[in-house]
Amino acid sequence: MCSLSKLFIAVAVVIIAIISTTSFAAGSFGIGKKATLEEIAGWDIDVRPDGKGLPKGQGSVTLGEGLYEEKCASCHGIFGEGEGRWPPLAGGEGSLTEDRPEKTVGSYWPYASTLWDYINRAMPFAAPKTLNPDEVYALTAYVLFLNDLVEDDFILTVNNFAAIKMPNEDNFYIDNRPDTKNIRCMESCKDPDKIIVVQSLRGITPDQKRSSGEEKKSSLSKSASAGQAIYSTSCLICHGSGVAGAPTLNDKEAWTKRLEQGMDTLVKHAIDGFLGDKGIMPAKGGNLSLTDEQIENAVHYMIEAE
Amino acid sequence: MANSKKPESSKAYLAELASQVPSSSRRDFLKKGVKFSTGLVAASVTGGAISDNLPPNTPIWSKTLGTGVVSAPYGAPSKFEKNVIRRTVPWLTADKISSISMSPIHELKGIITPNGLVFERYHAGAPTINPEEHRLIIHGLVDNPLIFTMDDLMRFPSESVINFLECPANGGMEWRGPQMEALQFTHGMISCCEWTGVRLSTLLEEVGVQNTGKWILAEGADGASMSRSIPMGKALDDALIVYAQNGEKLRPEQGYPVRLFNPGWEGNTSVKWLRRLEIGDKPWHHREETSKYTDLMPDGRARRFSYEQEANSVITSPCPENPWSTKGSYEIEGLAWSGRGKIKQVDISINGGVSWQPARLKGLVLSKALTRFSLPFKWDGAPGLLQSRAIDETGYVQPTLTQLRNVRGTNSIYHKNSIHTWQLQSNGSIKNVQLK
Repeated sequence: MCSLSKLFIAVAVVIIAIISTTSFAAGSFGIGKKATLEEIAGWDIDVRPDGKGLPKGQGSVTLGEGLYEEKCASCHGIFGEGEGRWPPLAGGEGSLTEDRPEKTVGSYWPYASTLWDYINRAMPFAAPKTLNPDEVYALTAYVLFLNDLVEDDFILTVNNFAAIKMPNEDNFYIDNRPDTKNIRCMESCKDPDKIIVVQSLRGITPDQKRSSGEEKKSSLSKSASAGQAIYSTSCLICHGSGVAGAPTLNDKEAWTKRLEQGMDTLVKHAIDGFLGDKGIMPAKGGNLSLTDEQIENAVHYMIEAE
Repeated sequence: MANSKKPESSKAYLAELASQVPSSSRRDFLKKGVKFSTGLVAASVTGGAISDNLPPNTPIWSKTLGTGVVSAPYGAPSKFEKNVIRRTVPWLTADKISSISMSPIHELKGIITPNGLVFERYHAGAPTINPEEHRLIIHGLVDNPLIFTMDDLMRFPSESVINFLECPANGGMEWRGPQMEALQFTHGMISCCEWTGVRLSTLLEEVGVQNTGKWILAEGADGASMSRSIPMGKALDDALIVYAQNGEKLRPEQGYPVRLFNPGWEGNTSVKWLRRLEIGDKPWHHREETSKYTDLMPDGRARRFSYEQEANSVITSPCPENPWSTKGSYEIEGLAWSGRGKIKQVDISINGGVSWQPARLKGLVLSKALTRFSLPFKWDGAPGLLQSRAIDETGYVQPTLTQLRNVRGTNSIYHKNSIHTWQLQSNGSIKNVQLK
């Protein structure tokens, strides 16, 4: 009897062991290891509107101004107006219903926490995650100041963060689509005589025949190659589309005419700015952080590129 | 390639072949080749303008040897397909590091996008990640926070699904009017792959989500640590933690070594280079779900968490890149898709929506996947206004542009899924137009 019950227990143990190693019950894979508090803390960088996730620290508008001019203004502009296609950070109040709305931190963003979180995780663009918490507080404070949301003597801290209310917070709502109700009409669905055909704008579709950049690059001089990146970040906006009378890349005639005055004059005009019959060239294309050499390289690129 | 119309000269062709032959046999090969090519030159002189490679001549590639196995250990398309590539619109963004490219959907067949042609979207460039040093942490409102290696993730039971991936800004350049004379630029922010990975719900069971856990923050390991808030419902429904696409490991552009994949939802939520999932009780309202990826309405208010990609369709042939040449028989062909399920029907109009006829759905018709539609057509040379209209299994009918603009104005950037119009000219060329 005793030995039988022992045997029974032994068999039961074996059966349980088999079940526990072969069944895939919920949460029972046992794969992965426990994440330590230290591991989580190193990566847990997110901040929420209620302030959850903000580290201790503080930063003033004054400190933020210096940091901003050093690390942010080259793309976002001295006043947060945005250089070229880089995002503007300030302005645009009341523009959201206009034909050309300007969505900035002040005019559009619903929460200040988003600003802290984004600067901390992704900025400066070329060196993300290099700012310490106090610097992030200071830059957040300064961008709020650029939007007239705080005074110039303001100091942002973990304690006063929750008190900041963004002007546009209440203007967001949860997706309520579907918002259209088309019907499956098959015959006589509209009056053919009332169809108005709107044609596309010309000249802005990129050329699809140019299959790879390699062939282009090989024909460029050293200076022009160096200028290519400058061109795409600082010159393309005008010289790509030809706004303000800017000669476009492949407009050989326009460039030949300008080259008649000599390369030195052309480069000088690009550096110092120039007002001609056709249009205006702002000094360094409006990006004064570029060096003279960078501008010269970009001019070479624009002339040589096809 | 510019010279794709005309075969290269036989001499150049032989020289190229010779360069691929091991050097020990090269001299011999060249000797034969020279003799051979002399013969061909003579033939072409007597043959007049006919290419040496066209009937009745025997083409050069039928009289020579091709390349051996593993001459390309990882194969590439024919060099004559060099123009089938991703492209970007340079003026759209400030820098290629934070930008988007489009798939050449005018060149693709079937419903699967080859891995090298899947559209790209980066916020801080595509990082180079050593999979052995990559980790996925799941923590927050869970009983058992876990950290996974890639080997760990691949030990879970895997699933494969075919789903499209679409940027919600697809078509967004044309809210105000037609701009792009190319299908690649009007609709190319979409791709469709077979995705393989582990169900997110499986991992969530493993960590034990607490009752208060309603939202998940998904965060990338890229420079921007791109982050989105995902509601628990989606995570438990069909979200996948994906490590492979079309049979091979994810491409770096697509989130190597691991990404989140939310079928049918705006591509941005399928966070690439996934390093962390935090379970919380509320959404985070991060930059990519407030400043971006929200839809500004004409009243100045904005929609947020507009996750679903609504039913959409476009004719891929003809299109500006695939014009017709002569009168005669053609197949009007295109792609339809819906983030809410299967495509039920696609109709085609050749007169700007005055009348419609049903197209045939061909091949696989899968939920939240690209679906091919087709209509054989005899063109008599008359100009026309070609449109396609998709209907999905929820009964939703793809709207006209006017219907969409009436509700949303022209400044919402995202989710422009209106019926698209190609203007067929009497010479067979196709222009991108909009109808009022």
